[in-house]
Amino acid sequence: MYEIVIDRSLCSGFGACAELAPEIFEVDGGGLVSLRLGTSDNPAVLDAAAACPMGAIEIIEEQAA
Amino acid sequence: MTPRTVVIVGAGLAGARAAETLRAEGFDGRVLLVGDEPVAPYERPALSKEFLAGTRDEASLLLRPPTFWSERRIELLLGRRVVSADPGRCVVRTSRGDELPFDELVLATGARPRRLPRELPTGVHELRSRGDARALRQELVPGAHLVVIGGGFIGAEVASTARSLGVHLAIVEAAPAPVARVLGPEVGLLLAERWRAHGVDVRLGTGVAHIRADANGRVDSVLLTDGSVLRADAVLVGVGVEPARELLPARPAVHVRAAGDVAGPGHWTAAALDGVAAARRILGLPVPGPQPHYVWSDQFGLRLQVVGTPAPEDAFELDGSADSFAVRYLDASGRTRAGLLANRPAEAAALRRALLEDALALAA
Repeated sequence: MYEIVIDRSLCSGFGACAELAPEIFEVDGGGLVSLRLGTSDNPAVLDAAAACPMGAIEIIEEQAA
Repeated sequence: MTPRTVVIVGAGLAGARAAETLRAEGFDGRVLLVGDEPVAPYERPALSKEFLAGTRDEASLLLRPPTFWSERRIELLLGRRVVSADPGRCVVRTSRGDELPFDELVLATGARPRRLPRELPTGVHELRSRGDARALRQELVPGAHLVVIGGGFIGAEVASTARSLGVHLAIVEAAPAPVARVLGPEVGLLLAERWRAHGVDVRLGTGVAHIRADANGRVDSVLLTDGSVLRADAVLVGVGVEPARELLPARPAVHVRAAGDVAGPGHWTAAALDGVAAARRILGLPVPGPQPHYVWSDQFGLRLQVVGTPAPEDAFELDGSADSFAVRYLDASGRTRAGLLANRPAEAAALRRALLEDALALAA
């Protein structure tokens, strides 16, 4: 399971994350990304974090209990 | 062979992203991030906006919290300028006279503002570093007169911020319209109209003949080539930037990579992607394909977003009103090459995706 944390102050509205993992990230009406879900088990969130030019997405890997 | 020491010269966005990518991908050797400014990597775009306005402080500019770097064993060597790089011996030399050996070198030295080829009085500023922004901010007192030379994004953003602080503004642009070379004269004139509506004295198609100083050597007016004179308590020169290429080897060298603005005309997001790509190349990892260029500007109540790179010969379609418009730049075959959005932030992601798909289709 991955916990997803975004820093909206870094977000520049590039939108690559919403394209790679649309069930997690969406670009809101203000052009900044927001989270649909705070956690996911889809490794696409790792690609989304890697694709963010601003490094605004942090993924914390949670160990299954 | 896996390198043991990576030296990254330039602690801007490209350098920072290169360093953190090395660690994120599991690189275990030394990572040295060398910067000439005495400050950890920070957000440069805010310098002309919130930081200049005083609504964001220095701590909030930092790209990462202070402990981020030490937690990842990224060694920050700040306030240190690299004066030469020797790809043969694999060392760089700093302004303190010491040498730093490397196995891999990333040159992310960025760009610096173009300067006017003349002696300048005090009160004439440029804006690239946090120190520049701090000095300029001192000048922005209500009622002061600021002359901005150059109608590019930096100049317009500073003008917008200064106007909100009660400063009198003039913008001088040598071309018949600002940003015309990049975005076309029609868009440029639209922006100039907006500046005027916000009380800016906009002078187009005229150059600067002379920057005059008073008896104390302090700027007091700017004389234009059309003979007019603008009162100036301070001046900002914003006539573009040039890559800081001094350290680039004359011939391509293995183990030396350039990233960010130094490698070509780039922008904030391009620099970030470039830093990531440099780190991945060092580690022999696949590098993501190129992305459409993306740049944004906040000025006089407009958020401008440019996706892709318009060419001078492009046809364009403009729709919307002065407060919210979209421009599509079309190549000879009618395909969208680039787009400009003004206060249409929700459309940026879709536009970027469309351009990316076009580029992929062309390459296939």
